[in-house]
Amino acid sequence: MNYLLFIWADGMPAPDELAVLQREIPGWVEEMDRRGVRLLGRELDLPETAATVRVRDGQTLVTDGPFAETKEFVAGFDLLECADLDEAIEVAAKCPISWIQQVEIRPFSDGLRLGAQASAFGRGEDGAVSPYLLSMWVDGTSGPPPGDAAVLREGEAWRQDLVARGIHVLGNPLGGTDTATTVRVRDGETLLSDGPFSEIEEFIAGIDVVSCADRQEAIQLAAAHPIARYHAIEVRPFYSE
Amino acid sequence: MTTPAVQRAVDAAFREEWGRVVATLIRRTGDWDLAEECAQEAFTEALRRWPVDGVPQRPGAWLTTVAGNRAIDRLRRGARGAELLEQAGREALPRSDTNEDAMPELFDETDEIEDDRLRLIFTCCHPALPLEGRVALTLRSLAGLTTAEIAHAFLVPEATMAKRLTRTKGKIAAAGIPYRVPPAHLLPERTAGVLAVLYLMFNEGHSASSGTELIRAGLCDEAIRLGRALQQMMPDEPEAIGALALMLLHHSRRHARVGGDGELITLEEQDRDRWDKAEIQEGLRLLELVLHRRQVGPYQLQAAIAACHARAASAADTDWREIAGLYALLEARMPSPVVSLNRAVAVAMAGDLEAGLAIVDALSGEARLERYYLLEATRADLLRRRGDQAAAAAAYERALPLAPSEVERRYLSSRLQEVGGSSATATTPNS
Repeated sequence: MNYLLFIWADGMPAPDELAVLQREIPGWVEEMDRRGVRLLGRELDLPETAATVRVRDGQTLVTDGPFAETKEFVAGFDLLECADLDEAIEVAAKCPISWIQQVEIRPFSDGLRLGAQASAFGRGEDGAVSPYLLSMWVDGTSGPPPGDAAVLREGEAWRQDLVARGIHVLGNPLGGTDTATTVRVRDGETLLSDGPFSEIEEFIAGIDVVSCADRQEAIQLAAAHPIARYHAIEVRPFYSE
Repeated sequence: MTTPAVQRAVDAAFREEWGRVVATLIRRTGDWDLAEECAQEAFTEALRRWPVDGVPQRPGAWLTTVAGNRAIDRLRRGARGAELLEQAGREALPRSDTNEDAMPELFDETDEIEDDRLRLIFTCCHPALPLEGRVALTLRSLAGLTTAEIAHAFLVPEATMAKRLTRTKGKIAAAGIPYRVPPAHLLPERTAGVLAVLYLMFNEGHSASSGTELIRAGLCDEAIRLGRALQQMMPDEPEAIGALALMLLHHSRRHARVGGDGELITLEEQDRDRWDKAEIQEGLRLLELVLHRRQVGPYQLQAAIAACHARAASAADTDWREIAGLYALLEARMPSPVVSLNRAVAVAMAGDLEAGLAIVDALSGEARLERYYLLEATRADLLRRRGDQAAAAAAYERALPLAPSEVERRYLSSRLQEVGGSSATATTPNS
């Protein structure tokens, strides 16, 4: 099964925590890549670099900043290929982020679509274009329900179009919040909790990574997705050195 | 065979076999709802067939076969679609014979079926599932309680419980929770998780609550039954035995701990003749057996504490010094303010009232005990024993609004009156 590991940060880590992360993360990446359970992962740029896109009455509305203005934010993600949730939990609990902050495991409801550029993207080789993460922020109270067949069909057509244009890097819809598991490790003990880490009502129903010339193009692509009409899509660049 | 006799046989088979039938069907089909529905149909079929054919020698095997056939039928129908469903009506699908002698491989896998029940309990109690869902699903899938029965036991509407069960089963499928006994490196932690679910189930039934006494008693019975089953499945797990002993020793006091008017009777004032001797004997025997293994854990320690009470002929004979020592061991392994509070009582009862009160005072700032009525109730009780009536009354008054049920409120009110306080705050206005 394919899982998404959301790296949830609640504020910036303290200097000593940062030192632990910098020391330990490369070993985790090396081990999980070697075992074939980690497909790739990237760190996102800070939330304030994001734009949030909505389409209402045919008008594209863009606001600067992340969708959720909470102290907690998604700092990056890893994509996993695991036998089952127990293996995903094991990988998550070994991830040094979960020792200091927390990670959230979400299954892809319909598998993960990886494009030809995915492995170069995973290595951080972006070339002349820039990758952007499109996070589909959905609330359970308005618009068509999450998992609505018509919206999923339209979303898939949108994705197919991007694939045909050679700009879809990866992505697909995620399982709902009912399928989420949050993992923390404290004092060597793995602590699991049912549900997403963020307690706000809205949640990320799917992700796509697109490669674009610039931010403006990423916003246009987001505006063409059906979720933008009913809910909101956050567009955020990745961190690059 | 008479109908009541068959009914009894079916009831017995239901208690013994429901979990096994469901567990095996889940392994074969991967579909929890299908497994439950087909198990239900098999029991209905038994009520129809057993009066005519007689009760089969191995009811569990018979039921698993019938349920398995139903599942095969349904899966075939589902796969062929609506068009083929009509055909299936005309030419009956080939099915396995429910004569057990004619059913080969099913009956040679007794071990596998026993493992299925373990797979089921570990999956129901998986730590990535919501805690309430774990308890509910264990009661539904393993114990065979209906959604309505579980809803009653937890005082929620049936629709709420149905949703909880659906959501829990939904996560197992969608998040890829494996249907298996966890591998060795996960086993200790996951076993503790299973025991926690069973003990929670037991406590839910054991905690005094008026009106739903009978249904809640059912929860205790189910928890003990599942505890026994788990102990048979995992004979090498000392804490499984410890948890079973603990539940039995607590359960032995059930008739003595609530009076005729539903009032709470403290351990000290219980009529010990009303304690269930058979359960005490079984609990003590299990505990003695397991303590010899010298792999002590929190359940064994709690059972050892309960055993001290069970062995005392009267309240005055209680070995409080031993109990205080056991609480200290428990506190070291499982630090919790509630354990410390219990140690305070034991220390006070062992003769050192002041030391007991000092432990209670030290716990006063503890945030986790802020809404816990037993902190103030314990302080009140120790102050009362010291003869400090006014301070005791004040503490009872602080405990009252925090008490979770009417039974506990009534107990505190009567104590409050004893120490000369007014229980006006406790009496609800006449409507």
